Amino acid sequence: MEYQKIDMTAFNLHVIQTDRFKTVNIRVCLRDEIKKDEITLRNMLASFLTYSTDTYQTKRDLVLKAQDLYAVNVYTKSYRSGRFNMINFCMSLLNEKYTEANMLEESIKFLSDVIFHPNFKNKEKFNEAFQFLYDSIETSMKGIKENPTTYSVIRMLEEMDPDMPYSYREFGYLEDLESLNYETLVNYYEKIMKNSLVDIYVIGNINKDEIKDLFRKYFPFTTFKRPKVNQLIEHKTLPKRSKIKKEIEESNQSKLSIGCKIGPLTEFERNYVLTIYNMILGGNSESKFFQIIREKHSLAYYVYSSLNKLDSLMIIKAGISKENFDKTVKLVKKLMKDMEKGNFTEENIQVVKENYISLLKEIEDNENAIIETYLAKDLLNLGDIEERKREVMKVTKSDIIKVSKKVKIDTIFLLEGGKSSGED
Amino acid sequence: MEKIELKGLDQNLYYEKLENGLEVYLIPYTNKSNYTMHYITKYGSIQTTFTPFGKKEKITVPDGIAHFLEHKMFEQEDGIDPFTFAAKTGTYSNASTNFKCTRYYFEGNQAFAENLNYLLDFVGSPYFTDENVEKEKGIIAEEIKQYDDEVDWTFDEEMKKALLQKDNHRIDIAGTVESIYKITKENLYDTYYTFYQPSNMFLVISGNFDKEEALEIIKNNQTLNNAKTNFKIKVYQEEEPLEIKSKKVEMKLNVMNTKAGYGIKIPLKNVEDKYLFNLYIGLMLNIKFGLASYFREELKKEQLMTSFYIERELIGNYLIIIFKADSEHPEKLIEKIKEELKDISVTEEDINRLKKVWISSEVMMIDNINISLENIVDDVIDYGKVIPNNVDIFRSLNKKEYDKMLKNIDLTNASTLIIRPKKDE
Repeated sequence: MEYQKIDMTAFNLHVIQTDRFKTVNIRVCLRDEIKKDEITLRNMLASFLTYSTDTYQTKRDLVLKAQDLYAVNVYTKSYRSGRFNMINFCMSLLNEKYTEANMLEESIKFLSDVIFHPNFKNKEKFNEAFQFLYDSIETSMKGIKENPTTYSVIRMLEEMDPDMPYSYREFGYLEDLESLNYETLVNYYEKIMKNSLVDIYVIGNINKDEIKDLFRKYFPFTTFKRPKVNQLIEHKTLPKRSKIKKEIEESNQSKLSIGCKIGPLTEFERNYVLTIYNMILGGNSESKFFQIIREKHSLAYYVYSSLNKLDSLMIIKAGISKENFDKTVKLVKKLMKDMEKGNFTEENIQVVKENYISLLKEIEDNENAIIETYLAKDLLNLGDIEERKREVMKVTKSDIIKVSKKVKIDTIFLLEGGKSSGED
Repeated sequence: MEKIELKGLDQNLYYEKLENGLEVYLIPYTNKSNYTMHYITKYGSIQTTFTPFGKKEKITVPDGIAHFLEHKMFEQEDGIDPFTFAAKTGTYSNASTNFKCTRYYFEGNQAFAENLNYLLDFVGSPYFTDENVEKEKGIIAEEIKQYDDEVDWTFDEEMKKALLQKDNHRIDIAGTVESIYKITKENLYDTYYTFYQPSNMFLVISGNFDKEEALEIIKNNQTLNNAKTNFKIKVYQEEEPLEIKSKKVEMKLNVMNTKAGYGIKIPLKNVEDKYLFNLYIGLMLNIKFGLASYFREELKKEQLMTSFYIERELIGNYLIIIFKADSEHPEKLIEKIKEELKDISVTEEDINRLKKVWISSEVMMIDNINISLENIVDDVIDYGKVIPNNVDIFRSLNKKEYDKMLKNIDLTNASTLIIRPKKDE
């Protein structure tokens, strides 16, 4: 596998040459500072651009074209990452060995069409797409409560800090949706095309020079790369005590979400020690949470912790019966305290390191995971796979204890379900 | 070991059936880091009445026992559970149960031989006690409640309840909180020894490993060689009648958006080649209702849906097709589907377009060791054999055969399901 980062003036082109895959994967990442009132707009635009274009004015036309290019797959992902707003355009196509000559260029042209020629000219076609996407987004916003596990986390974060980017709703907001129209969408499109940082990743059995030429030809970005706000959110002070909030929802199971703030860390601590800490505490089926809360006390089917490193947060989730709330929270607190006291073994650390290294090797099998690795290299200054393997081995027990003392529970949220266990 | 070429995909599959009846499918890759190994019994939630191994009388076990058994297989006499064993070498382990099968799997990139041996050993060594059975009930009760809260899950369940009268697909895989409390270590052992004999199981390994080494390990595994096997399994399932259970179901649930469903039940009794028939049905659904269909454009223009999916599933002697949508006008939407189904003629051009898409997808899928494994599992479970020449079959699809295959098909044997929010805003 060979990686090269090429400066194309308006954007960086990252070329990853490998013969491991039968496909070529492309990801165009646009990022800028997140603003709460632009989230809905961002989601609408991301869906709009892959719904139709000026050349392919209905979804049907667009799909027919994609099918004709041997089922090339184009989609957008829009999400928040720390203080950044991300829009990714992704494309996956077959290597020409399995299709026909010129398909790489044709596909890149197609992706260029999606990004640079939005369906803004024909008002009638614009309205058709806009109306459908409007209704779809409205449906997903309303449906947010239909996934109580996610909803519980959203509500917990809102209780934690309603003004911080991590509490912004990924789906956006109904009142913002209502204010969208042709002008707002066009203006926003122009804004992000001018102001975003752009990185393009291409992975597959490809020729670097050919790729360079194709992107120069079809991707006329005119953005300026300039320093932005710091993407990383840090908590200068940690909570002294946690707050508890409960909400009642008509469901069978109660969803517990616990948000923990993480104090300032060194780069090594953030990239490696914190990962190991989380895996021992609640990252997998070997973890304290799983072994004690689920296996020993039968309190939950799922209970785990995960990290939002760029938000300096750790989030714990569990599905429990409401009468077990106190017991579960008490155990969570005790197990976190145990980490601070060093109540875990060298063997625990060893197993988790093995796990981490195994996950790193797995990345090599997945094109998108490889792209994420290079993205993380730029965002978190996280090393490449080989460097990560070396670095993680350096993590010691005392490093973990030190980090564990900087993880403090801030908000405990229970989305309270109606029924208790046993009754039905 | 039989070599089977997966045509058009630059990939081979190797097959062997052992004396004890276990079938082994190996898909070795040359350019992957990971391997994934799945040990599977053709026993799922639907087989609840049977004659246990070594007994004469048939018994009916509580609903959800297959899934309960899956959880309990992780209990080992030496106290070390498979999760822990696997984690030592950074290997991921888990298991799952569906209507038709139960599987145990390891995924990783180290200690292939140890892990394979261990997988065969632990699934071959049940250890149930009154205490460990009791302990699991609380965990599974939470799991059931979690699924009960998932709207899509509920939707599928209600659709099956509407379409089916007797088949156990209408019962939740995990059973109910009530039924699982009736499970004992005795009925777990009865179930285990009946359905976990090697002759009722198969093993699929995909990814980075050596096929000769793998087969050697499997052949020499003592647990496997000592297992009681080749016992004929007698399962009792009442025959599912053609008639739909309920033509129309409407309910109010704790949902935010109205959901519309239309399920069709097609008998397969007189269908010669179920696989090919299912393929042509897929072609029809894709052309008439897919992303590139006029039908979808119309639905959107008339604002009849915000999302629209089609699924199909083989259930006993029936093929079930389920349309589901988020829609503010469910009745109108369902009428439109019915109307569209009245004329399912397609053009040669449509078929050729879809063939290109399907062949391309087949190549994309083989690049993923989990998907290639999944395709083998689906073939074995649904058709009892692997179909290695998908690409050739796709190439041979044509309009003449389409017309012949779907000529007399009845698409009106159907149920409608509408789920509305409790509180109308």
